Amino acid sequence: MRDAKTLAYINMFAVLGAIPTLMEIVPEAKTILGKSACSVGIAVKGGPSATLTFASGHCVMKEGCEDCAIKLPLGSPEKFNGMIDGTVTPIPSRGFTHLPFLLKKFMKITDLLSQYLRPSEEDLADAEFKKRSTTLMFGVIARAIVQIGNHDKVGMASASYITDGAVKMAIENGPSAAILCKNHHLGYSKKVPEKFTSYMTFADMETARDLFDGKINSVATVGLGGVRIGGMVSQVDNVNRILDRVALYLA
Amino acid sequence: MHEVYTHPNSQAQFRRAAKVIPSGVYGHLGPAEGCFIPVEAFPLFSDHAKGSYFWDVDGHRYIDYMCAFGPNILGYNDPDVDEAARKQREKGDCTTSPSTVMIDFAELLVDTVKSADWAFFAKNGNDVTTLAIMASRAYTHRKKIVFFKGYYHGVAPWTQKIDYAGVIEEDVANNIYIPWNDAAALERVFAEHKDEIAAVIAQPYMHGNFMDNELPAKGFWQKVRKLCTENDTVLVVDDVRAGFRLDMAGSDHYFGFEADLICFCKAIANGYNVSALCGKEFMKNTISSMSYTGSYWMSAVPFAAGIACIEKMKKLNCPQILIDKGGQLKRGLVKAAADYGYDLRVTGVPSLFYMRLADDPTLMLHQAWIAECVKRGVFFTNHHNHFINAALTDADIAETVEIAREAFEAIQKK
Repeated sequence: MRDAKTLAYINMFAVLGAIPTLMEIVPEAKTILGKSACSVGIAVKGGPSATLTFASGHCVMKEGCEDCAIKLPLGSPEKFNGMIDGTVTPIPSRGFTHLPFLLKKFMKITDLLSQYLRPSEEDLADAEFKKRSTTLMFGVIARAIVQIGNHDKVGMASASYITDGAVKMAIENGPSAAILCKNHHLGYSKKVPEKFTSYMTFADMETARDLFDGKINSVATVGLGGVRIGGMVSQVDNVNRILDRVALYLA
Repeated sequence: MHEVYTHPNSQAQFRRAAKVIPSGVYGHLGPAEGCFIPVEAFPLFSDHAKGSYFWDVDGHRYIDYMCAFGPNILGYNDPDVDEAARKQREKGDCTTSPSTVMIDFAELLVDTVKSADWAFFAKNGNDVTTLAIMASRAYTHRKKIVFFKGYYHGVAPWTQKIDYAGVIEEDVANNIYIPWNDAAALERVFAEHKDEIAAVIAQPYMHGNFMDNELPAKGFWQKVRKLCTENDTVLVVDDVRAGFRLDMAGSDHYFGFEADLICFCKAIANGYNVSALCGKEFMKNTISSMSYTGSYWMSAVPFAAGIACIEKMKKLNCPQILIDKGGQLKRGLVKAAADYGYDLRVTGVPSLFYMRLADDPTLMLHQAWIAECVKRGVFFTNHHNHFINAALTDADIAETVEIAREAFEAIQKK
C-alpha cells in the first residue's frame, strides 16, 4: 500500500531532486533556463519542503523554503502528489512577479524531466538519451530508497535492520551514489565515501536499465555477474528490500 | 600449492538455469542468498559427492564444510544408510498404507530424544516449525509468538518479516521480537502480554547469519523454561540446524532443559528427505486434532535411512566426534590466520562453527579470503555457520588448513 506522505517525500527529494542532475547532463535543460535565475520553494503541509535554486545554467536543491523567490504552498501531501501528477495546480503565495519563470522555464524543465524519467521506446532508441535517462533514474531510485526507508512503514522496518555505514550503489562506467545509514535513519550522498561498508554495483547501463524497467531479476542477475554485491551484505539485503518498494511508489 | 579453480561449466549451466528457473538457483544454495562473492569463485552446480567431498561440474573436488547446509552428517553416500534405503526401496516407498518402518522410526526417536514422547513426520524443517506454532496456538488458544532476533525458522509467512516479498502485515502481526540471551526482556513481554503468548520459539543457541554465533548465557535456558511453564506457554526448540551435532538426545538436553516441542530435519537421515516434530505427551492430543499432512510425508525410504543414520550416529557418538573435529579445525585455522597477522574469530559450537575475519569490519577482507579458499578446493561460505561431518579425516583438516594458509597469502599479496 502506498502512503501519501512517503510519496510526497519521494516526489520532492527523489523526483524533483533529480532536476539538478538534469541541468548537469541534459543540454536542452540548460537551453531552457538560459540566463535566468530564480528560486522555487515548495512547502507541503504535513510533509516535505524544499527550494530549487536556478542560476548560471545550474540548479541546487535545499531543504526548507524560507528564502525562495516563488513559494508554492500545498495543503497536504495528497495535493502535492496531485501537483506532480498534473491534477492539482498550485497557487503561489509569494513571487507573483516571477510567474513567467514558473510558467515558461520551470514547467518546461519539469516536463523535460518527465520525458527522461518516463521515456518512450522511441526515445530510448537513442543511445545518448538512454544513457542520460538511466543516469537520472539511478539518482531518483537511490534518493527514493532513502525516503522510503525513512517514511514508509515497511521501509522503516527494513531500515531498522540496517547497521551504520555507507552502501555504495554504482553503475560501472556510470553514476554512483551512497545510501548512508546512521541509527537506522537513511541519507543520500552523491559522492561515495572512501570507506563504504557494502556495495551493489551494476555491470553496465544496459543491466541497470533492464533492472529498473523490471525486465530482469536482481537475484538472478547476481548469479550471472550483472550485479556485484559485497561487504556487509545484510546492509545490501535490506536496501534491496526497500528498493523493491520503489516500484510501488514510482511505477 | 593447490590449483586455482575456474568454473566455466558452472557458469554456463547457471545461464541455462536462469532461463527456466526463477533466479537460476533459488534460496540458500544459490549465489545471491548464499553470498557467493565474487560469484566466479564458487561452483554453482555439483556433479557427485562422496564422504566429506563433492565434485562440481567443472571436475573440481571440494572438502565440503557446508554439508548441503547440514544434512550430510555421516559423509555423503554413507554405505550403511544407503543400504538401508536401498532395501526399503525394493519393498516400497510411497504407498497407499504407510509402512511400519514409520513406527520403528518414531520409536527410535522417542528412545533417543530426551524430550520426545512421540514423533510426527514431514519433509522439511519449515513443515515442522510451522506445525509446532500451529499446535501451540491450538493448545493455548492464543495468538502471539515470541522470537529471538537473528532467528531463522523457515520460509513460511509467519517466519518472515513484514518487508519480505509476499508477506502481509497480518502474517506477522502477532510476532514479538526480543534480543537473544535477554531473559529480562522475555519476562517483560510475558507481563505486557499476559495470557496472550502461545509459544516461545528459539534455536538452541544464536546461530544466525551475518553475526558471530552466541551460546546461551549461564542460566538463560532454565529461566526461559521457567517463564514458559509459569505462563502456560509452549516452549518450542528449533533444532533443525543444530540437531544431532550437539547431542543425540537433542540440543535442549545439551543445554540442560526440556523443550515442549522440538523440531528436527537436516541431519536426521543423512540427506534422505524427512523431518520430525517431537514433543511431550501433553501436546500429543492437540497434534492429533490438526489437519496437517503432505503427499510424501509417510514415504518409507527416508524412514529406513533415518533409522540407519540415527543408529550409526549413536554407535559412533557422532556429536562428540564432530565437536572434536571442529575443534581441531578451528585451532588450525585460527593459528594459520595469526601466522599471517589476521584475527580469525570462530564462534558457536565447533561442530557447526561460524567464522569472521575481525580485521575488517566491512567483511570485504573476509569475503576475499573465503573466495581464495573456495578457489583452491575448500568449500566455506561467507556468512552462515558451517557443518562438520563424520567422514572428515585428519588429512582433510590438515589440507584445509594448508589451503587456508595459501588463501591468506593470496589476500596478503592483493
